[in-house]
Amino acid sequence: MDLSQRDRLSELVEELTTSGQLKIDKEKIREVKKICKESNDYIDHVYHSLMSQLNQDHAEIRLSAFQIASELFPKSHHFRTLLVDNFQEFLELTVETNIERPLPPPQLVARKLRSLAIQTIQTWQSSYGSAYKKLELGYYFLKQFKKVDFQDAEARTVAERERETERQRKMERIYSKRLKAAMRDMEDSSPDIEVALTELDSCLKLLSHEFPLLDSLTTNSCPLTQPTTGCLSDDEQPCCSKNLMNDRTQKMQESKENDNENREEWEEKKTKKKKHKRSENEELNRSNKQNKGEMEGEQRYKMKHEDKTRREAEEEDPLHGDSFIRNSGLISRSYCLDLNLSHGLHVDETEDNEAVVSTLLDLQRLLSTKHLPAVRQWVQVFTKSGANQRLLSRALYLKSSLEASLLKLRKLNIDSQNRVNKTASSVEEDDEDDSDFIEVPEKERYESDIFGHLKVEDGLGSTSSTPAPSQHVPKSIVTGTSSSLPQAPSAYSRRMKRLKEEEKDPTCAAATFHIFQNSLTMTASSSSTSEPSSTQSNKDQTTSQAPVVPFGLDLYYWGQEQPNSGKITKSASQHQFWVPADVEEEVENKELKVESRCRYISFPGQFTPVSHYCNAPLGNGKMCKRQDRLKCPFHGRIVPRDQEGRPCSQEDRQREEQHRMKTKKKHDWHDAGLVRDIEIATGQNLGSERLDKRRKRKKNKYPNLSNLKDSANTSRARLEKRIFNKSAMRRVAETMNKVDRKKHEKFSNQFNYALN
Amino acid sequence: MLGYLAARRAGLDDPLRLRRVEATRRVLSLQLNADRDMDRIHANGVNTVDIEVIEGKYMLSGGADGVIVIYDLENFSGKPQYTCKAVSTIGRSSKYAHKFSVETVQWYPYDTGMFVSSSFDKTMKVWDTETLKPAEVFEFEDTVYSHHLSPIARKHSLIAVGTKDPKVQLCDLNSGSKIQVLQGHRAEVLSVRWSPRYEHILATASADSKVRVWDVRRASGCLLTLDQHNSDKSKAASEAVNTAHNGRVNGLCFTSDGLYLITSGTDDRMRLWNSATGENTLVNYGKVSNESRKRRQFTVSQGCSPEFVFVPCGSSVAVYGLHTGELVTMLRGHYNNVDCCEFHPDHQELYSAGKDGNILAWVPVLRGPDVEEESDQVTRLFKL
Repeated sequence: MDLSQRDRLSELVEELTTSGQLKIDKEKIREVKKICKESNDYIDHVYHSLMSQLNQDHAEIRLSAFQIASELFPKSHHFRTLLVDNFQEFLELTVETNIERPLPPPQLVARKLRSLAIQTIQTWQSSYGSAYKKLELGYYFLKQFKKVDFQDAEARTVAERERETERQRKMERIYSKRLKAAMRDMEDSSPDIEVALTELDSCLKLLSHEFPLLDSLTTNSCPLTQPTTGCLSDDEQPCCSKNLMNDRTQKMQESKENDNENREEWEEKKTKKKKHKRSENEELNRSNKQNKGEMEGEQRYKMKHEDKTRREAEEEDPLHGDSFIRNSGLISRSYCLDLNLSHGLHVDETEDNEAVVSTLLDLQRLLSTKHLPAVRQWVQVFTKSGANQRLLSRALYLKSSLEASLLKLRKLNIDSQNRVNKTASSVEEDDEDDSDFIEVPEKERYESDIFGHLKVEDGLGSTSSTPAPSQHVPKSIVTGTSSSLPQAPSAYSRRMKRLKEEEKDPTCAAATFHIFQNSLTMTASSSSTSEPSSTQSNKDQTTSQAPVVPFGLDLYYWGQEQPNSGKITKSASQHQFWVPADVEEEVENKELKVESRCRYISFPGQFTPVSHYCNAPLGNGKMCKRQDRLKCPFHGRIVPRDQEGRPCSQEDRQREEQHRMKTKKKHDWHDAGLVRDIEIATGQNLGSERLDKRRKRKKNKYPNLSNLKDSANTSRARLEKRIFNKSAMRRVAETMNKVDRKKHEKFSNQFNYALN
Repeated sequence: MLGYLAARRAGLDDPLRLRRVEATRRVLSLQLNADRDMDRIHANGVNTVDIEVIEGKYMLSGGADGVIVIYDLENFSGKPQYTCKAVSTIGRSSKYAHKFSVETVQWYPYDTGMFVSSSFDKTMKVWDTETLKPAEVFEFEDTVYSHHLSPIARKHSLIAVGTKDPKVQLCDLNSGSKIQVLQGHRAEVLSVRWSPRYEHILATASADSKVRVWDVRRASGCLLTLDQHNSDKSKAASEAVNTAHNGRVNGLCFTSDGLYLITSGTDDRMRLWNSATGENTLVNYGKVSNESRKRRQFTVSQGCSPEFVFVPCGSSVAVYGLHTGELVTMLRGHYNNVDCCEFHPDHQELYSAGKDGNILAWVPVLRGPDVEEESDQVTRLFKL
């Protein structure tokens, strides 16, 4: 036996087994075979090296070794006898016959090894089973006792199959449980959902009663009633390119609309215009109004024309546009209309529809947070567990209806921004409104102001009386963007008015505030303007500037000697028998004496909000918007920076640069492989060895094999590494000990604490 | 071999001498042979086997699922390839079958018409081989670990029964009743054996790590308690603390001449005792792996000049020299733990069975003629 051949053989086996490939290299195995052909000694050697490789705790090594063995098995009788002699161990290492010795990780390769081994053993058995008794025995052992199904594609053992079925059964049980729960839930809450849905529908209907576009909007179809009067356009789609006719009709309708007091949604917008336009277009009928309303749903527009121009146009008309009018119903061709198209509806909450809207919002919350997720879950459960079709369809129906109504609601764009304040203020208003009493501001001493109507009664006459608060706030369900304007001033004015009233009441906080403000402005003005310093104003000034301190003993005895300051009197013992020898009844304490005369005044300074930003450049091109006073937790000390976020001063810039370089070095040049690549490319020494040295120690001997330790890199493992870190544990233990000790020290003399 | 033959022919040698030499040679060449198969009846582990001594033809085997099978070992086909037929089976379907694992089976020493089996279902059954029905059923209060019929008894027909109860029971086949109780052990009795030399001598091994030798004629107490340290006999008090092993003693076997007793325990030791004096011969067998919590059946060769002991050791059978303690070979063939082995004294064959359900026959494989190999070498020489 040639030693060099032998060495070559072991080398080949090692290379083959540590390649980490699922298929072994054909060239190398051919070489192995060639060497093995020469003598049985080589086969012995290969056999032993293979067995030692099979004993490695790495599935990839084992798989490759097994593949080599299966290559050699049909070729050599000697190898077969050797292998079959030790077939127990071979099976243990490849098929996992011994439960106490499971196949090593990685799992995937181990599974592959198992199935491959089982298939191979079957083929061996069919071709060599009769000749090799132990092979046959092993095969029967696998078949009978390990219950390996050789037909099974995955070649699982019975235990595995049982585990699988067990798991399936378990899942089924869980699913059926969930299914039952979901069914019960659905039984229970589907009436609730339906009630909620109907409620929502009726709410919508109520809203749409005020605002008839809703139907057409939500259904996305425009079932328009044809205008009965023929003079106006019969066209219902007022897209701006259509023609002027539509616009004209709209305009006319609009003006007509204004007559209708009950059309509240229009009030808001046109309160001002109303007065001017009232005279016009009284003869148009209601159907047109509807028509117009529908159009309005999709189209917002602003009239720029004043009535005057229109009248002029009307006057002009008969001169040259008779036929045109007759044909088109338009009075003039020279109208200039600005159409402001916007999509969607907008519903504002007003007092009239407040209840409806709040119900709607409640319903929306209920549906979207409670019912919809529940229904979605049911659908999921039903589909997963394969429930019967009826349940599923019902759940789906519920889901779709829920989603549809929620969509409707969303399209309404209910303005709920002001809702919170409004509800808060509405509480106040409520108790104002509900009381039968006339609202009278609280007054104790004098009445500086009397309401207008009272004044009239009093005969004082009103000069500066504020208008009576109009409880009637115009309600608005108005399309478009400019809708919220009219309401806001009224509410604001009301609030302002009330504030003013309150200010006049000396008992209110507002009043003191007012006085305070007044005095401030007065002092400011007086200090700035009056240079002929009258003593009066000077005194005012000093008093206003003087600090106000709380009353204390030192003030009480201001300028006098304090009678018994710093003296401690001890009362004589009241005991019947025991009298202390001689007690000095009064003890003078210097410190106390001094203390009683002085006063501590702390100057905390004034809070000034931070006005600067950190402004350090961020990764996304923006600048850091943190407003720390001195130091940003991310970017360090706050320094003045220019537009791009670079520090203004040179040294700051340098420092930053250095810092960046340092971190960058750590990140970019971390990878020794990259450095090496660059070195190869540039031919310069960048110190990859130095970088490499640290890692070389750890470097895997066989880079092709998958690293078993890597597989442990899960979030759990990382957390464990952190938490069960030795130093961390020690730190925690120390802290706990310290706490314990403290507790012990504190309570050590008290037996009832000493026990715990 | 030729020398022995010539000496025998010349009458120089004792006939026994040739016999012994040949037997030893055969035992040393025991191998798993493709020529000898056993019918696969047992679907579960096999706990016990027994070969009858009269003809050496039939073998009993008791399985962990309560199945008892009778095999025919004799090969009359004239061919080397032979599959031992299962003559009859007491399967799970039989209403007489044991409910639980059969722990011990034994032929009646004088006739193949009867055999005895004991089981974890707390019964011992005496079977009629012809009808395969139990002629007698002894019931016990605890699980039965082992029983034994004396192979040479003429004056009694007692079956010693070791159960979970520390008392050793003696059942009389004549009366069909339990006639005597031997008290002394403190834990379950795992193995019982009658001496093949004196019909009244009984050895019992227990989980209290003691091995006691009894004379059944004397009910008051045991004759001996084997002491692994061979401490002073005069100390009567030490009798109580004498132990044979440091763990449970679950194997017990007399040599064929009855002069020696071999015990094995869960301390992974095997010990050889002088059965007459109860002295530990201090033969070191090394570590004999033994994890069984039940009885372990092992055997000693018969008729070889240095005798061999066959011990189940993990998934293989270890062959030791009886008096040297030297490990001769390991017979590897089972795929799971081996529970029992039985030596066939006539053919020098070994039958072993284990948890993998196989009963393996280890047959002497005699060396082929040397001629061929010589010629092979010659050709190779020529090549060189």
